[in-house]
Amino acid sequence: MKRRDFVRAAAGAAALAPLGRFARLAGTGAAAWLLVPMDDAQSDHLKAYGLAYRALERGVRVEWLINYRGGSFLLPAESAAARDAALNGISTESPDDGRVTRIRGEIQQGNMDAVPLEKAPKVAVYAPPNAAPWDDAVTMALDYAGVKYDKVWDPEVMGGKLSTFDWLHLHHEDFTGQYSKFVLNYAGAPWLAEMIQRNTATARQLGFANVPAEKRAVAQRISAFVERGGFLFAMCTATETLDLALASEGVDIAAAYADGTPMDPDAAAKMHWDRALAFQHAQLELSPTTPSYSDIDGHQVNAPDRRQPLGSFTLFGFSAKIDPVASMLVQNHRQVIPDFYGLTTSFTRHTLKPAVTVLADEPGAPWTKYIHGEHGQGTWTFFGGHDPEDPQHQIGDAPTDLSLHPHSPGYRLILNNVLFPAAKKKELKT
Amino acid sequence: MSRVLRLLSILLLAGAGAARAQQPALARALDLERQGNFAAAAEAFRSVLAVHAGDPAALLGLERALVPLNRTGELLAPARAAIAAGAPPAVGYAVLIRVWSAIGPADSLRGAVDRWAALAPGDEAPYREWVGASIGRGDRAAAQAAIAVARRRLGRADALAPEAAQTAVADGSWTLGTTEWLAAIRQMSGFRFAALAMLSPAPERVRPDILRQLEQDGAGEGRRLAGTLVARWGDPVGGFRLIASSLPAENGDAIERLNQFLEALQLSPAAAATAARQARGMALEAIAVRTSAGAATRARMLAAQAYADAGDTESARRMLDGAGPGREDGAPASAVGTAVSVLLGEGRADEAERRLQAARATLPPEEYAVLARRVAWGWARRGELARARSLLAADSTVEGLAVAGRVALLGGDIRGATERLRAAGPYTGTREEAAARAALLALLQRIEADSAPAIGAAFLALEKGDSAAAVTAFVGAADKLPPEKGGAELRLLAGRIELARGRFPDAERLFKAADLEQAPATAPAAELELGRLLVSLGRRDEAVATLEHMILTYSTSALVPQARRALDEARGAVPRT
Repeated sequence: MKRRDFVRAAAGAAALAPLGRFARLAGTGAAAWLLVPMDDAQSDHLKAYGLAYRALERGVRVEWLINYRGGSFLLPAESAAARDAALNGISTESPDDGRVTRIRGEIQQGNMDAVPLEKAPKVAVYAPPNAAPWDDAVTMALDYAGVKYDKVWDPEVMGGKLSTFDWLHLHHEDFTGQYSKFVLNYAGAPWLAEMIQRNTATARQLGFANVPAEKRAVAQRISAFVERGGFLFAMCTATETLDLALASEGVDIAAAYADGTPMDPDAAAKMHWDRALAFQHAQLELSPTTPSYSDIDGHQVNAPDRRQPLGSFTLFGFSAKIDPVASMLVQNHRQVIPDFYGLTTSFTRHTLKPAVTVLADEPGAPWTKYIHGEHGQGTWTFFGGHDPEDPQHQIGDAPTDLSLHPHSPGYRLILNNVLFPAAKKKELKT
Repeated sequence: MSRVLRLLSILLLAGAGAARAQQPALARALDLERQGNFAAAAEAFRSVLAVHAGDPAALLGLERALVPLNRTGELLAPARAAIAAGAPPAVGYAVLIRVWSAIGPADSLRGAVDRWAALAPGDEAPYREWVGASIGRGDRAAAQAAIAVARRRLGRADALAPEAAQTAVADGSWTLGTTEWLAAIRQMSGFRFAALAMLSPAPERVRPDILRQLEQDGAGEGRRLAGTLVARWGDPVGGFRLIASSLPAENGDAIERLNQFLEALQLSPAAAATAARQARGMALEAIAVRTSAGAATRARMLAAQAYADAGDTESARRMLDGAGPGREDGAPASAVGTAVSVLLGEGRADEAERRLQAARATLPPEEYAVLARRVAWGWARRGELARARSLLAADSTVEGLAVAGRVALLGGDIRGATERLRAAGPYTGTREEAAARAALLALLQRIEADSAPAIGAAFLALEKGDSAAAVTAFVGAADKLPPEKGGAELRLLAGRIELARGRFPDAERLFKAADLEQAPATAPAAELELGRLLVSLGRRDEAVATLEHMILTYSTSALVPQARRALDEARGAVPRT
């Protein structure tokens, strides 16, 4: 699937066609539309994404009204959608054709756009078969919103199964094969022992000498998935380590406990940053005992001498009609969002490649929070931090109950990424 | 005044003037630091050090400002200058060690430790700073090496025992960590709390080794620690036995240890568990044995309450008998309350009333009224409604009306019960009592008859703990009422009782029987209960269908949010709670 062939012409066309194909009930006098507001009128922002996703699954075309009332959804009034909204406590409105026409006029005149969504993307989550002792924000968001997904891990990735999916999520994985560098600090913990045993066995099963080598191969397959047109969304340490793994072909960046040999002290100078998706020229952390990989992360949560306090990050505003992709990714009812830690919390500006689009940053700070870019025919989006509603998530903490955070602006950003691949493809104007 | 004296006074005045001048500069630096403006704070601290290189407050402030800025290396020169200017080694050398630890190299770090150690032979402080800096970097191997050096040089195998304990535990060496903690506690008893906090998370597989090691400690401290750990690990009674076996002969010390065990029990997540209550009773009994007169009576009464809460009526009675039936006179109200509660728990309303009347003269009227209501309810639960009414006759409080309403209900007096429960209002008693009263009122208001002895008998059976008879009686009463006039509500109640009894098929049948279109006030609650039951039985598809039906059919019901939550659980959309 060529996902790069995406975007805005269709959106503009939809805005200019007040009724178009969607006005199935026009002229009946009854409400022909279901508007799902995404501003403060919405009672459950996160489940609203699920409603849109399930409508797409049923073959209903949904319009994403970019920058209109927090990024609302508009779909034909159909009983299944109304039932879905009632069951899940999602606020909806029933505008008639006249009001929809006025909405479209408003969209046409402002920094807004109507992007047609046409197909529910096939979603895969990269996760080991066992449960890790930390939660996964994306899996929780998908479960809560009711978006279907499959789990894949190293054997599936190496076996070529990624080609059957549109969208892939990575969470806390350490693609440098060093078990998040927890080996020394959590020595003896049963979950760590199981993680090492499982990864070692998988590496052996797939024919690799050690885990770092096998994880690098997995990272390369993921990069190839994006290059062929896939959508990649990564959070926390998967962002940083994926790029480190990609850039370290032929360079030993793993500690002795992971591959039997110490890290190459000159590794930073030998990295092939042209193979990385987002980062370049990072300084690598040489100590095997410090749970940090490089200066890509600005917050360094586990390095006491370097740890930076949490602030807030601000979403950038983009031109909806000219830059609909970035606009879709930042749809929200809040523009300033409290920050949250992860093993990789943020991305320092000086390590970003020039072509990277910054979607959110902390004003005045030397780091960014949410970034996006293209690779081949696909796109990637990196979001720093672990759990938007548990800013200091610790190993072993209970998973976050999203029914207590139905308006979470941080989780909305995750769900923006899930719906974004559903947007109608169009040739990019150059 | 001689020239020497004049010179001295000038020097002293100059010194005081300089110190006064420094004070605002230091205050400004601290203010900037408080505002989070570390760069400006660092410059302000530097300006203080420029005048007084050995100022400890300014040097430490500079360190606090530079570390978050990732400029630790800049501390090197000020730290050296502070040492040269005579700053206390515990400040100057400590900062220098932390700097070398952060920026390396290791031989410079070692040199700083050596120089400080040479100034303070026999002192652990230089090594403690070295170890602490290594732990801060997450370099446990370096910390352990530093501890080994300290022990060799100081000639003490237990030097830096708390630090050695922490690194051992962090390494997963639980038995070594236990040995080190015991050594640390021997040096300073206050480390007991740190030891407890560090050893409590030990994995189950290593716990027997830890306990074996603690029990081998001849000084008794090990058994004391073991007792509290065993209690935290889920065996509070076993924990108490360990504590009891190591109590000192002196009563004051023994009582202090027992009280600390009680505090530990109270803080335990399982404080409300039966075993924890039993252990609490045992500890209180042990305290009673070691105290005299009033304090002993009070401890026995509290022990009786704890035993009663744990369901150990024999021990509870033993405590009450030990306190003596005549002891209520002069005993605190809580002690009389304990006796009354224990006796009512055993169904001995007569003995409870006798003890209450014996203590009446010494009890405040409000306390007497509270206990009298409890005794009245004790009579009512035995079916002796006339005795209950007689005790409540003079009680015109809203609390009294609440109890009188429930007594009337047990007698089948629906009208009287409704009037009294309504008069008691929505705020009387605890939140749970108020909610239960509201639920009762909701049920009674649907029943049009003034009197329904069958319903009273059903509630009485429930109060007596005969839930099987209660279900039969409620269903029998429901058969005689139209669904919308209480029939459906009584079936729902019977279903809830069956659910509590674990009789799931019967509960399911009764919930379905209560889910009738003719009873729209009851049907959503019945469907919600049914949905939850199906979720708990793993019949997720049926649960989803039931809950969806409830939400869509009764969309204005106040129970819809609860149904959505149950639906989320059925779908696996949220973690199970």
